[in-house]
Amino acid sequence: MAVAPQHAGVRPDLEEVFRRDYRRVVAVAARVLGRRDEAEDVAQEVFLSFARSTVPAAGAGGWLCVAAAHTALNLLRSGRRRASREERAAGPAAPPVPDVADTVLEREERRRVRAALARLPRPQAVALVLRHSGLSYAEVAAALDLSPGSVGTTVRRAESRLREEMDDDAPHP
Amino acid sequence: MHHTPDGLLRRLLDEPAGVPDPERAHVAGCERCLDRLAAVRADADRAGAALRVPTDHGQDDGAAWDRLAAAAAAQAGAGAAPEPGRAPRRAPLRGAPRRAPLRGALRRPAVAAAAFALALAGAGTAAANDWLQVFRTEQVVPVALGTEDLVELPDLTAYGEVRSTSQPQVHRVASAAAAAEETGLDVPEATVLPPGVGGQPEWQAGGEASATFTFSADRAARAAAATGADLPPVPPGLDGTSVRLDAGPGVAAVWSQPSGVPSLLVGRAVAPTAYSDGVPFEQVRDYLLGLPGLPADLAAQLRGFTADGTTLPLPVPADAVTTTTAEVAGAPATVLETRDRALAAVVWVQDGVLTAVAGALDADEVLAVARGLR
Repeated sequence: MAVAPQHAGVRPDLEEVFRRDYRRVVAVAARVLGRRDEAEDVAQEVFLSFARSTVPAAGAGGWLCVAAAHTALNLLRSGRRRASREERAAGPAAPPVPDVADTVLEREERRRVRAALARLPRPQAVALVLRHSGLSYAEVAAALDLSPGSVGTTVRRAESRLREEMDDDAPHP
Repeated sequence: MHHTPDGLLRRLLDEPAGVPDPERAHVAGCERCLDRLAAVRADADRAGAALRVPTDHGQDDGAAWDRLAAAAAAQAGAGAAPEPGRAPRRAPLRGAPRRAPLRGALRRPAVAAAAFALALAGAGTAAANDWLQVFRTEQVVPVALGTEDLVELPDLTAYGEVRSTSQPQVHRVASAAAAAEETGLDVPEATVLPPGVGGQPEWQAGGEASATFTFSADRAARAAAATGADLPPVPPGLDGTSVRLDAGPGVAAVWSQPSGVPSLLVGRAVAPTAYSDGVPFEQVRDYLLGLPGLPADLAAQLRGFTADGTTLPLPVPADAVTTTTAEVAGAPATVLETRDRALAAVVWVQDGVLTAVAGALDADEVLAVARGLR
């Protein structure tokens, strides 16, 4: 098996952690942003941050997911929905793939979800995203420094609040 | 009458085994709790649908890893070595305050190349028996390094002894005013912040960093032998010659997201200077640049612009970072941007003070911040 060259100054366990957790980190960010291209940008930021940290590789999963949720929420709340960095790169960019399912109605629904998510209290939003990204109650508790018993309460409040926010934002007949 | 709390009802949907048996038994026989459970389930399902991830159209993990590896290597190559701590807190550029001891930094090949160049930058003949300033940074020029150069670059300690005599001891301070008082620097104030960057920065300050490199003919001979080459004849007086490198003090303002991901850094430091204990530097420079082990094209670049003793070479991994020039506050500035557009930085020197603006931004954004500094 070929061994990838080790980059000078890059922590040696970076690739192992990346291969193990990348998809999960993208999935967390994508749940917040509703877009994979931006989620992949967020994942890059998060892993770069990890690369410069001394977070142990064994415990990095929760740290990465929380960082992805916060970073994506920041992006959402700042309104800084800039184009994907790859799209702006000087090199040949991948042509946009028309998505026939991406109808006007779906886009509107997606906008309402993100707007509602952005209005949630930060701990609720993060817990909600982590839980719906597949983290167990114990993992969410560890990642957010909550007691396991309070995870259900936080997630429940977040889902209730999300419904209220989305209903408030719904177009009136 | 006791009813099951909402939090346990919610957990019952996901991890029923985590809910105590008495609560599960209660819910099963309580009409009111069953109704509440249905409402909890409806909200959970709706949230799940709302947060559904878009379909994965052939996610390419390999390309993502290549992109990350290039960006991480670029950061490391530009001087952002890993440091202890939960979150990154400092500039991806040389010259900004760092926690890493200078001794450690000097051992990294890319930085060693810069230190090499610093040691070689000539400024006439210094008088013996005294430390004379032979180098004072007045501008920064990138030196393109290929990946193969990074692999081939010799460690500075292969040619002599590197001794750290003063470490910057970078630490957090309460405010810009405290940073200014501690360092004596005019602390840069950002009047323009890019979209998505806001709030108050964390301030850091550090003292002067100083290290001495003493050339050793013996070590250089061993290094040459290791490459299978002979050491060129050592000029008289060079063996034992010392060069002292000083940099700092410095300050940095860091804007970070709650996750710890830094979004913007503005750093300022007294630019590096070098002092010699007395040798003709043109001779030393030419000698060291001709030693086996230094890639020929890198040696040619260093030889080409270090003659005036005022240019700080900034090693840049050419395959990962693009460099352009711009003007900031009337001074020539070097703009660096990773090829994946993940990071950008601009650095310039004015009146012996080096200022850097860097972040997870694009080149236009860091330039806007730089030009808006007061």
